[in-house]
Amino acid sequence: MGVLRAIRSRPVDADVDPSDLIGDLLRRAGRGDQAAFGELYDALSPLVYGVVLKVVRDPSHAEEVAQEVFVELWRLAARFDGTKGSARTWAATLAHRRAIDRVRSEQATRNRQDRDANQAVRQHDTVADEVEASMDQVRVRRAMSRLSDIQREAVELAYFGGHTYREVAVLLDVAEGTVKSRIRDGMIRLRDELGGES
Amino acid sequence: MTDIDVHHLAAAYALDAIDDRERAAFEAHYGSCDVCRSDVLEFRQTLAHLAHAQATSAPTALKQRVMAEIATTRQLSPMVVPISLASRRRPRSMVAFAAAAAAVLIVVTGVVALRGDERTTYADDLARVMAQPDSQLVSLDNNSSTDGSFKVAWSNTLGEAVLIGENLPPAPDGKAYELWLITPDDSMAMYVLDPAGDGDVHQRLDAPAQPTAWAITVEPEAGTPVATGEIIYIATV
Repeated sequence: MGVLRAIRSRPVDADVDPSDLIGDLLRRAGRGDQAAFGELYDALSPLVYGVVLKVVRDPSHAEEVAQEVFVELWRLAARFDGTKGSARTWAATLAHRRAIDRVRSEQATRNRQDRDANQAVRQHDTVADEVEASMDQVRVRRAMSRLSDIQREAVELAYFGGHTYREVAVLLDVAEGTVKSRIRDGMIRLRDELGGES
Repeated sequence: MTDIDVHHLAAAYALDAIDDRERAAFEAHYGSCDVCRSDVLEFRQTLAHLAHAQATSAPTALKQRVMAEIATTRQLSPMVVPISLASRRRPRSMVAFAAAAAAVLIVVTGVVALRGDERTTYADDLARVMAQPDSQLVSLDNNSSTDGSFKVAWSNTLGEAVLIGENLPPAPDGKAYELWLITPDDSMAMYVLDPAGDGDVHQRLDAPAQPTAWAITVEPEAGTPVATGEIIYIATV
């Protein structure tokens, strides 16, 4: 652990885009600028909708959740703090959290039938989306391939499957403590492979 | 839950892969742990790549709905953090916390009293409460338009409760927020809330009885002995 930490030690914000266009848009939105928020929407909606759809699966639910996420970004825009991560990271965090809230509350009433994390159909409507996303896809796929099978499965079941690590332990039939440490090891490996801000 | 266990939850926390109870314990811990804060931020940056790799064009109608809704949605004010609290570290004791916030905790019944162990931190308090077999955790429902989110964890064997509140705006001029523990015989214990400058309300309280409900009201002044104001948050147990 000490060695890993030493190897990857670097300032957290070293990778922040110096121009930080998205952060600027968010700060303007925080002052009530709806046009800036519209641009922010254009920049972030593929990411927000994409990750929400991946987690909740149902496109109409994904739309509802994505709408909640953007309204929350609008409400909280003035509280955005660039020293605690980029606007894109903030949006991704919020989107994932809201998607998880949705699947967990659904789960409380009925257990979802389909747990396969690989069935969601992805669509790209524009070439730009396709290219931008596919660059990250290649990097992410490569980084994922460096993980052990159990690390990769645990991270995917947690992040895209929306399962808690305890549930992941049941799904993979391994001890909870093992899953907790595989998730941690996997995230550290991914962090080292993918670096900081996108 | 020991501190080491809590540290090891940073990755699962960033993945939203922990339950409410662990999340509450971790959030209480990580506000005062530089290692965990840095880990969570870096893991979130990493996960933003995974999210971005899923980028999918949203349906065009979504933008119209979002823009229509934000046009009628009030934005929260920026956080204004007093210099004394700027580090976001939790003060080391309830005594220091109360002093820092220049707030007074008023004791309504003889049994409700602060315990003055100056060495325990808020995170320790929460971990201790959560570790009890009879610990309970409820989220308070928003009963008004006041922003914020609140959870209360308590253990009756321990006789302690911990309030975890976020994003509470400053009380309207001259007024005060108060939390009420309502018991089966309808007697109430009252606690004046002293949010930190950033709207967080992290307080340890004595829980003298099994509550039937928790409620937060806006009172005309701090220390009102009976609830008279609007109930802004409530949870029945």
